[in-house]
Amino acid sequence: VLPMVSITLFLPLLGALLVMTLRKAPAQVVHAIGIVTSGLTLVGALWMWSRGVNETGFAQLEELDWMPAIGAAYRVGVDGISLPLVLLSALLFFVSFIYSAKVRERPHAYVVLMLLLETAAIGTFTALDAILFYVFFEVSLVSMYFMIAGWGHEDRQRAALMFFIYTLLGLPLLLAILGLYLGSEPHTFDMRVWIDNPPLEGTAAMLALVAMLFTFAVKTPVFPFHTWLPAAHVQAPAAGSVILAGVMLKFGTYGLVRFALQMTPDAFREAGIVVLVFGVIAALYGAFAALAQTDLKRLIALTSVNHMGYVIVGIAIAALALDPEVRAIALDGSVLQMVSHGLVTGALFFLVGMLQDRAHTREMDQFGGLLKVVPVLGWSFVLAAFASLGLPGLAHFPAEFQIFLATLRVEPVAVIVILGIVITAGLYLRAIGKVFLGEPREQWTGMSDLNTREILALAPLLILIIVVGIAPALVLDTIHKTTAMLQF
Amino acid sequence: MAADLALLIPEIIVLLTIVFALVAEMLRLPRIALGVTLLGLLLATGMTLPLLGVDTSIFGGTYRIDTLSTWAKLILLPATVLSILLARAELGGSDREGTVYVLVTLVTLGSLVLASAGDTMLLVLGILLSGLGSFALVAYPRDDAATEAAMKFFVFASVTGAVMIFGLSYWFGGSGSTLLSDLARLETKPVVAAVGLIAVIVGLGYKASLVPFHFWAPDAYEGAPVSIAAYMSVVPKIGAILALAQVVRDLPMSTDWPLVIAAVSVLTMTYGYLAALVQSNVVRLLAYSSVAQAGYFLLGIVAVGASPLAFESIIVFAAAYAAMNLGAFAVVMATGRTLDTFSDIGRKKVAMGVAMVIFLLSLAGIPPLAGFVGKFLLFGASIDAGFTWLTVVAILNSVLSLAVYLRIVVPMYRPRDDDAPPVPAPAPMPWVRLVWVIALIFTLGIGLAAQAMLGQLN
Repeated sequence: VLPMVSITLFLPLLGALLVMTLRKAPAQVVHAIGIVTSGLTLVGALWMWSRGVNETGFAQLEELDWMPAIGAAYRVGVDGISLPLVLLSALLFFVSFIYSAKVRERPHAYVVLMLLLETAAIGTFTALDAILFYVFFEVSLVSMYFMIAGWGHEDRQRAALMFFIYTLLGLPLLLAILGLYLGSEPHTFDMRVWIDNPPLEGTAAMLALVAMLFTFAVKTPVFPFHTWLPAAHVQAPAAGSVILAGVMLKFGTYGLVRFALQMTPDAFREAGIVVLVFGVIAALYGAFAALAQTDLKRLIALTSVNHMGYVIVGIAIAALALDPEVRAIALDGSVLQMVSHGLVTGALFFLVGMLQDRAHTREMDQFGGLLKVVPVLGWSFVLAAFASLGLPGLAHFPAEFQIFLATLRVEPVAVIVILGIVITAGLYLRAIGKVFLGEPREQWTGMSDLNTREILALAPLLILIIVVGIAPALVLDTIHKTTAMLQF
Repeated sequence: MAADLALLIPEIIVLLTIVFALVAEMLRLPRIALGVTLLGLLLATGMTLPLLGVDTSIFGGTYRIDTLSTWAKLILLPATVLSILLARAELGGSDREGTVYVLVTLVTLGSLVLASAGDTMLLVLGILLSGLGSFALVAYPRDDAATEAAMKFFVFASVTGAVMIFGLSYWFGGSGSTLLSDLARLETKPVVAAVGLIAVIVGLGYKASLVPFHFWAPDAYEGAPVSIAAYMSVVPKIGAILALAQVVRDLPMSTDWPLVIAAVSVLTMTYGYLAALVQSNVVRLLAYSSVAQAGYFLLGIVAVGASPLAFESIIVFAAAYAAMNLGAFAVVMATGRTLDTFSDIGRKKVAMGVAMVIFLLSLAGIPPLAGFVGKFLLFGASIDAGFTWLTVVAILNSVLSLAVYLRIVVPMYRPRDDDAPPVPAPAPMPWVRLVWVIALIFTLGIGLAAQAMLGQLN
């Protein structure tokens, strides 16, 4: 049997090494290597998807001794929570490579960093060893730092630094990992052991939970730890933004489920209300803050805070729920929301990037009537924006619906979070109105519509937004296999 | 006695190397001196391998051949080889070039004695042996800065050395023996034990540049040739840290020594990084960084006797630290001493730039590099020993350290201002490149193959 997880995981790294050896190759060749490698990685992820997950725990396990002296090993595998995220990451990287085939500034380094980032992202989702997880988690951060510093916009040095320092606050996670390690008997870094028998209890578990919450809250990001996000997004190149929002924000919520919820379940249940409150505040704050923006990219970045807030709410509800059925619904919704957010926000960031390439501005007030000038770009934006505000039939609806449903059953008060939907609806309609409706301004009449490369990058995301919206069961079946069996 | 000497072969080879190299230098044959030194050091490294797994002491318990001392040889001897290559690139062709190799090897011998000390008198011997050579090395350029640095260094060393010897006399009085293994007799005399402990911390702390005994280090590093600064930040420091480990493993717990060490550790890490944050001279910055790194070593020291991870973590981090610090200094040698010279160097010299980033990230403890594995084990050891708060402080300092190291990384990838005076592209230095390539291999390799080391340690 082919070790598909490891192959998928290390393919991008091999591609990166290949690019490094071809120092003299022209830009087109380098980009072609990037596209082919990430395409093969996507095939690998689809292969993993076809093998599926099982109802008993982790599937597709692959193990190799690494440091047996301290109980660390190379252990990878997937379950219904991580597999959709792996597929999402592989897809987003693939379309990002297509989109960035235009990059002419140091293409070698760009492709190497992106491929490194891809291995780190897939590794974060598939790692079943805490050290391995932490390694991938940090490598992703370092690569993203250099990506923003090297290819970002105006104030990129500051943004990159902020992103790095903020995320370095992820070190509390390391502390929690050490605590879990020393609490397990015999000492091991095997995450499956920690999940099956949570090693800590009482105060120690609560301290570990607080450390983990801190790390994952910064990463997700949750208000008031979100200030790095708009800065990093606005300065990052478009493909960087797509990866940042589509893939890397999920590290926070994925970690919240995998570590906080599964390894310190009792402490999480006690602290569930606090987490819930933070989730509600994040969702509402993100929506209100986005409402105040005039820069399109900032606006989309802040709606991410709103959408990830729903994920937090869903996870908190899952911790608080006593009925396993409700818990499964909440977690189903949360995981699906992560996938939907990746697709929708990915598409939106691409579209803003495409707009900026043409107009060299992202200020909403400068545009108007673009729907008539660039209809493909315009209608794509409308579709993605409608998906983002949670229109039924598009990707976010089934996810948010399940989260709200579970919330109603457990903490009805928290349903005020639904207000966020109303606000996002308002702000997206306003943005569409300002940018795309009305009479076209003279200065933009010469604007060209999307070219083939851009359509190729965008189409898979838009199609999947509709597919997931109409037939969420395609993803939910996999997710539910795991969420239905989780016992805390 | 003969059996004892057989266990001492590496040290004997190093000593003979010094003698032969000195003879070659007196005959004005610096190249021969260089060759003899490198060969001798590599031979001594090779002859250390059979000692892996040996755990004994010789000469009536005064000299230890154990995990710490054997790994000290395996780390410090190759580190000395790399330092000598750097020195050759920097000082080659100067008058009395061969004496540099002789003195460097002498200091290494002193450091090995420190790491193997089983007796307080050997501690003193090791401190003196490594100290005397160091003063001369710092003063080697014979300009004002170097002379002043060496003078400061000498005065500091004399005072701390005197304090240490004075304090050690209390231990001798209390236990009736100079053997470290007899320190257990001080169980009922906590005051005597404490006085001696403080004296040892002063004496070894100066050598390892622990705060508040670090004041000589930045000045000495700045005044000395860069290769000598690189050397002193690695070899004598690791020797002193291992000596501290040898002392505390025999010290009775009644003195609460782990708490004292933990306090020094907090001071060292925090002060080192805070001071590094405001430096504009890269050598001084790395000097303060190496002060702070010494504080991390102490996380392993506090766990000695309480956690099985203690020795493992100290040794792994020592190897990691030697590789990444020598690598960073090598790049500084090839680039320049001020932050300005680093502007845009990442684009002009791509490979060297990437290597420097990796060294600095490793120093900051970013996985999967060597520095991460070392620090991770140190954190594990100190938590295991009940010093969770110390680990928290260390982790917070890691955040601070990132800001420090980014001060070098950020300009490396920033285009130069157009009106800034042009900086001549650094001349290629093949020996220096060899050093940072080797250091890079180890910095990456220790991160991925830590098991090979851990397996040998168990």
